[in-house]
Amino acid sequence: MTQASPRDGQPIHQNQNDESPFNLQQLRRNLPSWLQRFIPSGGGQHEDHHGKGMFGMTIFLLSESMIFVSFFASYIVLRLTTTDWLPAGVSGPEASPTVIFHSAVLVSSSFVLYFAERSLKRQQLTRFRLLWLLTSAMGIYFLIGEVQEWAGLDFGLTTGMGGGTFYVLTGFHGLHVTTGILLQFIMLGRSFLPNNYENGHFGVSAASLFWHFVDVLWLILFSLLYLW
Amino acid sequence: MTDSALLHPPQSWRQYFSFSTDHKVIGVQYMVTSFTFFLIGGLLAMLIRAELLTPQLNLVSRELYNGLFTMHGTVMIFLWTIPTFVGLGNYLVPLMIGAKDMAFPVLNAIAFWILPVAGTLLLSSFFLPEGSAKSGWWSYPPLSTQLSSTQGLVNGQSLWILAMVMIGISSIMAAVNFVTTIFWMRSPGMTLFRMPIFVWTTLSAQLMQLIFLPSLTGALLLLLFDLDFGTHFFQPAEGGTPVLYQHLFWFYSHPAVYIWALPAWGVFSEVIPAFTRNPLFGYRSVAIATFSFVPITGVVWVHHMFAGATPGWMRTLFMFTTELVAVPTGIKVFAWTATIWKSKIHLDSAFLFAVGGVVMFVLAGITGVMLGALPFDLHVNNTYFIVGHFHYVVFNTIVMAYFAAIYYWFPKITGRMCSEGWGKLHFGLTFLGATLNFFPMFPLGLQGMLRRVSSYDPQYADWNMVSSLGAFLLGVSTLPFLVNVIVSCFEGPIAKDNPWHATGLEWQTSSPPPKENFDSIPTVTEPPYSYGDARYCVQDPTSRY
Amino acid sequence: MIVKLGEAIVLAIGAAAIIFISYWLGQQSYSWMPPEATLEAQKVDGLFSFLVMLGSIIFLGVLGTILHSLIFCRAKKGDFSEGHPVRSDTLLEILWTGIPTVLVLWIAIQSIHIYALLDIQGVPEVAHAAMGMKAAYAAAPAPPVKTVEVTVQQWAWIFHYPEQDVTSAELHLPVNQRVRLAMRSKDVLHGFYIPAFRLKQDIVPGTEFDLVFSPTLEGKYRLQDSQLSGTYFSLMQADVFVESPQAYQQWLDNAAQNPTPPVDLSVAEAAQPPQLLGRRWGENHSPNHLQTAHSLPLLP
Repeated sequence: MTQASPRDGQPIHQNQNDESPFNLQQLRRNLPSWLQRFIPSGGGQHEDHHGKGMFGMTIFLLSESMIFVSFFASYIVLRLTTTDWLPAGVSGPEASPTVIFHSAVLVSSSFVLYFAERSLKRQQLTRFRLLWLLTSAMGIYFLIGEVQEWAGLDFGLTTGMGGGTFYVLTGFHGLHVTTGILLQFIMLGRSFLPNNYENGHFGVSAASLFWHFVDVLWLILFSLLYLW
Repeated sequence: MTDSALLHPPQSWRQYFSFSTDHKVIGVQYMVTSFTFFLIGGLLAMLIRAELLTPQLNLVSRELYNGLFTMHGTVMIFLWTIPTFVGLGNYLVPLMIGAKDMAFPVLNAIAFWILPVAGTLLLSSFFLPEGSAKSGWWSYPPLSTQLSSTQGLVNGQSLWILAMVMIGISSIMAAVNFVTTIFWMRSPGMTLFRMPIFVWTTLSAQLMQLIFLPSLTGALLLLLFDLDFGTHFFQPAEGGTPVLYQHLFWFYSHPAVYIWALPAWGVFSEVIPAFTRNPLFGYRSVAIATFSFVPITGVVWVHHMFAGATPGWMRTLFMFTTELVAVPTGIKVFAWTATIWKSKIHLDSAFLFAVGGVVMFVLAGITGVMLGALPFDLHVNNTYFIVGHFHYVVFNTIVMAYFAAIYYWFPKITGRMCSEGWGKLHFGLTFLGATLNFFPMFPLGLQGMLRRVSSYDPQYADWNMVSSLGAFLLGVSTLPFLVNVIVSCFEGPIAKDNPWHATGLEWQTSSPPPKENFDSIPTVTEPPYSYGDARYCVQDPTSRY
Repeated sequence: MIVKLGEAIVLAIGAAAIIFISYWLGQQSYSWMPPEATLEAQKVDGLFSFLVMLGSIIFLGVLGTILHSLIFCRAKKGDFSEGHPVRSDTLLEILWTGIPTVLVLWIAIQSIHIYALLDIQGVPEVAHAAMGMKAAYAAAPAPPVKTVEVTVQQWAWIFHYPEQDVTSAELHLPVNQRVRLAMRSKDVLHGFYIPAFRLKQDIVPGTEFDLVFSPTLEGKYRLQDSQLSGTYFSLMQADVFVESPQAYQQWLDNAAQNPTPPVDLSVAEAAQPPQLLGRRWGENHSPNHLQTAHSLPLLP
């Protein structure tokens, strides 16, 4: 039995007789293409390593988001119910110009990353490496800014619920930023290996998606911690 | 015979101690490792039941007792129940869907190897000067964050949290692997509604891990900060609230019980058709009911807090959702019953365990519906009625399903048949022991005996004695199983490809399967459980039945 | 599925037997519970009886079906032919989805009625009004006549009777009077549980919890801490006396004259036999910062 290519969009199955209550192939065809690439079109996709890998990475990130959702929920509950948010005289995190600038750098780095990935798809390797490195540099700049902000705050981890939640949330976010930068360095290193992209560029796509996730998290964090 | 055959040439056993990326090796590694933890958890249970043999405290100190039941629960849940079905699924799912391996073989191996390390770390806490964690497997603060002045950063509770986080990472890796495999690696023709129910249950359970487990991780990380780093998230005296922990904890831990049970129900759905020669009745409803657990179990968690700081409106809301989860559960039970009705039964050990498990599961489920009735729960919450209910699920259903699975797939995994006589002895002892051990817990709970107590009122003595004797019988019942499995690995008769004449792609390949599972990837054109098909509707004079 | 007449009769007899046995079990279930010492207990036991009856029907029905097949549907040796070809039956599947749904919703609705009587933690009237059942409630529960303050900590139950400023380790309640318990914990989670009353409430430290009920049966009962609270959790028990209003008043006056403050319950540990595996891992202590102004008198 020959296997049809998974990319030609045709369903694999010769015989559609099964007890499915709805036509999954039809459902999939009605989705936009950027969503379709995450969802297989039925049995026989095991050759599509990029699609398989990105699916795995996507569900992993959705799961990882749930940790932050639990932290956000804790933050909201504690903020609304505690009698000991921060001691009198302590103002809490402020959206100073420095903080806003660092945030802007982090969020813009996602756009730089997008252009980096696009360069790779167009096989402009040097351009890809430069933009990729720039993304990492912007991430490092954000991290340094975070550490400086921490050093300058007048409350600590144990200063009421406000202190505790602030450092836990920004700390775990920073951990994810660091991981993202490490992933980028690994991908940068691998870009120098000959024939590295023969089987596709899953690693770059995955590291890229991770970075966008980290940025979206920061947008939510920033709103909760600084704007509320 | 192929080179992956278990124990045929002597050098092949080494691969079970190596970093292999073959899902069949990893599956066995998971199962043997988790069974070892099952025996350790069982030993802890024997100590607990030995203490409860008499009303007074005479065997262990109070602190050790609290450590015993805490670790018993933790080991049994996170190092036995979940990993063993991850192992079974690891072995079977690629075979059942016609794939060569899991989607991410290296990730698969890493996920496994975390487990023995985390388990060793957890159990080593028994040797700390102040002992293991001892606040129950729930680790509710503020009790779990009460440290004595001599305890530092490394203490039983913090080791417990660390081990749990490690196990959680392993679980997420496995979940990503399973969900990707099932969506992406099915062979041509293997549509979702041609998958065996075991694959549906694995898919649903692993999706639930992805969605809900992070809530527990969040709770545990915040708990660690309270315990070791001076925060007060859950300390009411400093403005925190323990109720937040409870919600975060149970938001995972309720779906968790279905993560444990679903693969067991999947096993029933495979074994029962094979030994009744009937297609699974109502396959489509069962598949949909299975998947429906993913959203439904996410909205019932507050029933674990009915007696807690939960406002009345929340109690009534969650009572409704809790009672409704009985419906998809009932669909499965009735489907199995209808499959058994008007059948041609072969009373093999695998089938005995499956049927015994189903019958005891009905009792477990009924007591569950009772517990969902809020006023009744207020009486029996935190009593032995609860302990009886959940042991009827985790032991009398899930462990029975596990044994059914072992007897059923043993020929496929090892290439040999195991002994029927020893299997039936094992079943008899287990069924009797399980009933004696756990049934008395229901009257005890109704009469008000609390759980987690190390000494009790003499009025509860008789039922406790029955329960303890049952527990010792259960301990003994493991012996025929171990003898059977170990000896049969070496001495059992060589198994055919399909000794049970069962449907399913795993039976279409050799026992054990070759390295890449199939000589060529099969194409599927028929629905599952086609026991009417001429290939399966055979007369086999060489069979034991 | 073809059901012949003989089989139909067997099934009918089986079903009748199941219903009879289940009804009988439902009646028996009252004896499995502790004595009913409150108004609310009677309702809870009634609900339990109904659940036992229903559960027995389902359990015996499934068990009977399976046993019938195990006995009468055995395959001949070596025969692996199909049992029966039916893969599904839409009507049957609708029935076994719909009927359980109706049943569990019925159970939930009955439970709300009973829960409303307990008046714990909030507003069941809202649920009633939403379901248009307000009229079904003839009389709203009477307001409580008295309050007893309950304090629980590692390791004691302390009861304070404000009308005579009496502090005791015993809970005394006058019969047939609605009483309110105002409960607080000083350290970790505890649980207030009296099996004979069918009442339980976890006490989260830092908040006051109210429990309102009417004891109806004179006698001596046992209060137990139902939420794991640490080392001496098993010893966290107290005596509860429900007595006539005269006897209650007498006790109260006497206690006011001769106060006996509560002691640390962990001293009862000395009465336990020595343990074989007695490793002292360290008892649970309340951390320093939880000490409050109301220290326990006479603690060793």
